Amino acid sequence: MSTNRLNSPAELAALKQRLEKNRNANKTVVTVCAGTGCMACGCEAVLKTFHEERKKDRLENEVEIKATGCHGFCERGPLVVVHPSGVFYQRVKPADAKLIWEQTVKGGQLVNKLLYRDPQSNEIIKHEKDIPFYKRQMRIIFGKNGFMDPTAINDYILLGGYLALATALTKMTSEQIIGDVKKSGLRGRGGGGFLTGKKWATCRAVKVDPKYVICNADEGDPGAFMDRSLLEGNPHQVIEGMIIGAYAIGSHEGFVYVRNEYPLAVKNLTVAIKAARDYGLLGENILGTGFNFDIVISRGGGAFVCGESTALMASLEGKVGEPRAKYIHTVESGLWDKPSNLNNVETWANVPLIIERGADWFASIGTENSKGTKVFALTGRVNNTGLVEVPMGITLREILYDIGGGAPRGKRFKAVQTGGPSGGMLIVEEAQPKSHGSPVAHGDIRNENEAVNLLDLPVDFDELTRVGSMMGSGGMIVMDEDSCMVDVARYFIHFLTEESCGKCLPCREGLVTMLSVLRKISAGKGTMEDIKYLEELSQVIIDTSLCQLGGSAPNPVLSALRYFRQEFLAHVVDKRCPAGVCKDLVSHAIDNTCNGCHACLKSCPTSAIVGEPKRLHYVIQDKCIQCGACYQICRYNSIKRVKRGEGDKLQERAREQWRPPLKKVTAEVS
Amino acid sequence: MDKVKIKIDGQQMEVDDGTYVLEAAKSISIEIPTLCYYPYMVPYAACRICSVEARSASGWSKIVTACNYPVWNGLEILTNTPRVINARRTNLEMLMASCAPVPVLQHLAEQLGITEPRWGTDKHTCILCGLCVRICDEIVGAHALAFVDRGANRDVSTPFQLDSESCILCGACAKHCPTGYIKMEEIEKRFIVHQEMNLSPNAAITLPFRQAVPNVPQIVRENCIHFKTGGCMVCSKVCPKDCIDYEDSPKSEEVEVGAVVIATGFDSFDPTPMKQYGYGKYPNVISSEEFEVMNNAAGPTGGKIVMENGEEPRAIAILHCIGSRDHDYHKYCSRVCCMYSLKFSHLVKEKTSAEVYQLYIDMRSFGKGYEEFYGRILDEGVNVIRGKAAEVVPSGYRQHEEGHLIVRCEDTLIGKYREIPVDMVILSTALEARRDAKEFGRKFNISTGADGWFIEAHPKLAPVSTTTEGIFLAGACQGAKDIPDAVAQGGAAAAQAMKLMAQGEVMMDAAYAVIDEAFCSGCKMCNDMCPYTAISFDDAKKVSVVNSALCKGCGTCVAACPAGAIMARHFTDEQIYAQIEGILA
Amino acid sequence: MSFEPRIVGFLCNWCSYTGADLAGTARMKYAPNVMTVRVMCSGRVDPGFVLDSFRAGADGVLVCGCHFGDCHYVEGNHKCMRRIAITKRILKGMGIQPERLRLEWVSASEGARFQEVVNSFTEEIRGLGPMRLKEWAFVPEQVEAAAAAHGE
Repeated sequence: MSTNRLNSPAELAALKQRLEKNRNANKTVVTVCAGTGCMACGCEAVLKTFHEERKKDRLENEVEIKATGCHGFCERGPLVVVHPSGVFYQRVKPADAKLIWEQTVKGGQLVNKLLYRDPQSNEIIKHEKDIPFYKRQMRIIFGKNGFMDPTAINDYILLGGYLALATALTKMTSEQIIGDVKKSGLRGRGGGGFLTGKKWATCRAVKVDPKYVICNADEGDPGAFMDRSLLEGNPHQVIEGMIIGAYAIGSHEGFVYVRNEYPLAVKNLTVAIKAARDYGLLGENILGTGFNFDIVISRGGGAFVCGESTALMASLEGKVGEPRAKYIHTVESGLWDKPSNLNNVETWANVPLIIERGADWFASIGTENSKGTKVFALTGRVNNTGLVEVPMGITLREILYDIGGGAPRGKRFKAVQTGGPSGGMLIVEEAQPKSHGSPVAHGDIRNENEAVNLLDLPVDFDELTRVGSMMGSGGMIVMDEDSCMVDVARYFIHFLTEESCGKCLPCREGLVTMLSVLRKISAGKGTMEDIKYLEELSQVIIDTSLCQLGGSAPNPVLSALRYFRQEFLAHVVDKRCPAGVCKDLVSHAIDNTCNGCHACLKSCPTSAIVGEPKRLHYVIQDKCIQCGACYQICRYNSIKRVKRGEGDKLQERAREQWRPPLKKVTAEVS
Repeated sequence: MDKVKIKIDGQQMEVDDGTYVLEAAKSISIEIPTLCYYPYMVPYAACRICSVEARSASGWSKIVTACNYPVWNGLEILTNTPRVINARRTNLEMLMASCAPVPVLQHLAEQLGITEPRWGTDKHTCILCGLCVRICDEIVGAHALAFVDRGANRDVSTPFQLDSESCILCGACAKHCPTGYIKMEEIEKRFIVHQEMNLSPNAAITLPFRQAVPNVPQIVRENCIHFKTGGCMVCSKVCPKDCIDYEDSPKSEEVEVGAVVIATGFDSFDPTPMKQYGYGKYPNVISSEEFEVMNNAAGPTGGKIVMENGEEPRAIAILHCIGSRDHDYHKYCSRVCCMYSLKFSHLVKEKTSAEVYQLYIDMRSFGKGYEEFYGRILDEGVNVIRGKAAEVVPSGYRQHEEGHLIVRCEDTLIGKYREIPVDMVILSTALEARRDAKEFGRKFNISTGADGWFIEAHPKLAPVSTTTEGIFLAGACQGAKDIPDAVAQGGAAAAQAMKLMAQGEVMMDAAYAVIDEAFCSGCKMCNDMCPYTAISFDDAKKVSVVNSALCKGCGTCVAACPAGAIMARHFTDEQIYAQIEGILA
Repeated sequence: MSFEPRIVGFLCNWCSYTGADLAGTARMKYAPNVMTVRVMCSGRVDPGFVLDSFRAGADGVLVCGCHFGDCHYVEGNHKCMRRIAITKRILKGMGIQPERLRLEWVSASEGARFQEVVNSFTEEIRGLGPMRLKEWAFVPEQVEAAAAAHGE
């Protein structure tokens, strides 16, 4: 394969020039998002349709079809963007693909029904860059995804890929590179937020060989998929970052530890590594500079705890993924007791940008102590779910409303959970509720200086920590008035009890205990003692856990207690779940706004709803299992989740009016 | 090693950089509780009980585990702040909630003031401290145990919960398990008090017996982990004087001596075949040697005379002549048993308030002060019954209390059959020759008699010499005897040996063989015959020559010489022929 | 008057002679017919002694030594056994009943055994009858006849 090998930076630059020259800027390129999210929505069939159509029309030379990485707007997938016009089609089905082919590709017309329609203004927006979801983002890392096929290294080089590597290897010393990274203020994107430059410098200073660089791609937080999309869509940027880092630190062996549940990421990464090797960008004598470095992919075994650096290294070594105390840092003694520099996928992806565009440029983005951008996985009860890349310092309000598009179905935002199971629930209540009267009580002013809602909180490392959460890896789960904070806290603790490695006592036993307490509260059997116990236990678990899985596990509970204490008290004192989620504390009932449309009756699995068409329906309380199916389906918001036992109060009139169906009577004629 | 200055609970100290807090604290006698710590293994830090507060001069503080937190210059450690106590207490509470209240946890709980955990229902004893797994891994090197599953389902097990082939049955895991979750199966059936005679099967380092000389422990190779897996060696890490040498092995040395005194002693008769006495079958039937061990202040009971269940006996029967004066076992009298039986009864009377019964055939109190001692025993109220005990039966047999013994005998002095209820039976067992005496004797060319005791040169006139020059006997190996006699014999044997040594010249036996060169044909038949290699061949003269110093005068070569060239001095052919003539004349 | 056998006994000094001594000191009664010759070891016993004893008029010859493994000179008794075995064959060839020569192992403590051996051997010789070698001329035919008479 030496014919492809780039033996010097000059050859790399020459290749880029060649590719640029050969590219026809006016050629039609149909890009289809082929990330896992859109795959799940059926983009493969869409791609197949395009290929078939192209073959039929014999336009192979005229039209390029490219399966790209994740575009980010996962709510609206499958996504198709046609270049050079930049027309953005969303929710494309295979049949729609045909339409696009005929009308847009061949005919140059738009297919209006597939264009994005802004829910607020009802306007159609044609181009990706104009869509609000994208407009407020700053996609310095993710931006390339839409333009490149992750399995084609030439696409990456065309976009300027590996130029930073060439610069670093030939024009900079290790100290200069580390200096730049330090100056940029880059902080770890995996959750710890540790200054990357400082970490590299410490690792470099250890006089032990060999050294290892590791990429932590074990993204375990529920609801986080930033690293997945990055590895699927642009693995080369991560690779480039790792090579630069290895050069700066003095390492020649790199590992990517990726969780086994990301098969597409593994596949694309493998292809990318091989392609890089072929080009002489990995392996021996990279770009003819004499620097050797290669990367090995290692897959995880299905343990959340292996996202913790020492557990990850144990797993890499082939041992059970159990953490150890970090009193001796892994940069001094890590993988096989050698100095090991571990960084997150996103952190590595930032490095080529810093080298290419300069530390000052990077430092100009973001806040004073949190530089650059962050990719968030915006999910939950928000209109526009997907991956968003925003500069540090943007407010929650902007993310939720301007980018997220507000709450669906007219509900109110209630909380945002950042940082996964290690983070906290932040209250984001509106000043003016526009609810339908559900008796919901949120928040509590713990001290006068604290705002009741954190909508205007600027999102950066320190701010999030200050208010009781953390940046984490970037998961951002939005919850509305129908989410119960006790239930959410219980969910996260349950997740952690299953993922705890079990080595240290506080995490292993403490989380199980907390789970049973939360379940108790959710079942309506909680006491004030239980809340006090939760707080005490949380503090001990934080203090004495061996690793950060345990050490940050109480955060969701503590933050929920901090901002939603009233809700806890409602469960404990009133035996009532204000959000209507905790099944034992809720009764579903139909009020007098019922239309009699029969939809709920049909959906009820236990036939607990009775009513004549066009007349008031009601829920037979004894039969109802609180599944909530009727609540989901009612279009008139007539189903109410009230305190357990109070259902019939709402349904008096309905019950009065209810007449059982007439039975046929046969008269006896004497 | 660089030294750093740290402070623990207000006490300044200097330690090597990198020392763990726990060790540093221990060195100034500050105790920090631990559960999963073992000094000779890598600290595991799983139980978190050793949590302490670490503070820096700049003001931050955090909770760390003392067992694996390395000190640094300026570190301050506080082991008893409310935050620390609360952390320990809550952790212990959680542990108690999921584990049965085993002693080690209860002890800690008392210290920290917990009575009942506020939460939890699961009760299983393993506290997942990992000591067993880590010992098997790091020290023993057998790798038979590991943790399985994760989170709250974490457990300790062998692969697939099957019996592990790698397990070397060393018992290290069971010994270090603080809760008793791991047990070694009992193999021996004899119980606590009397178990001392069978030293523990798992002891790898033992004192062979309490009065061993030199009184130092030895490594029992069959039980030692190091010789099975190459690991462990903890003993050498602990020994402050570096005395442990694994390469050491029994060495054989050749010493040239002119005299040997054989004092190999006796064995005790094993009464197990005498089923009628129930030794080994019923509890509290013990042999005299076992009683001696129990009575010894350095013994298993500290000198107290107790039954197997630890209680004091109310009545003891001492049975004489077990194995001695018995047609089925040893016909001889063992000489010492009567006196030691009387001694036992005296000790029992001194230490307990038990009733003592002596069942004898004859009371052999032959020595100086012995008869008087017998009289004293009678005065102490010991019941002497003339009649060898016939049988010992468990007392449940005849509707007396369960769990005790009845001795059946004929009291010949009153001519009645008696059944005596007792709590303990001591069998005064015979002394017998060592089991390997015959073979041992062959090395020295001395023989054993019908009873197995070594044969002396003359039973009356030369009790310490043997038929082999320079080999002497002393003590019980020559015949059952008590201590004064043995001591006397020892002196006698030593004197005989010294006589040999003092002699400068040794008188040789006059009877040796001589070869007449004239008749010797050089056939060399005699050369190989001589058991003492006293005959060599003179190549120059082409005749065989007898070395008179080596020749013992057996005469075998004489009989073999075809030429009749060898003469046995004082036993010549002519002399013997003359004797034959004389006899048959 | 019943015939009193005359038996020559070769006893090794260490075991059998001492055993005989023991029988004596223990006052055991045994037949007086065995006249002992002490040798240092049973290995000293030359077949010539046996033949000479018969020539001189003995009716039986008893050779006693130590049990195997107990020989004071290690293996003298082994050699004795071999020699006695050959000697018996020679006796047979000469027309003398091989039973008249007996080899026994008696140890120093076996006074009772010595007593028993002496008594039983004496009785056996008594049963066999006197040797009457002196009365025989060395005539082959007579020897053959004598051999035939004894059913050889």
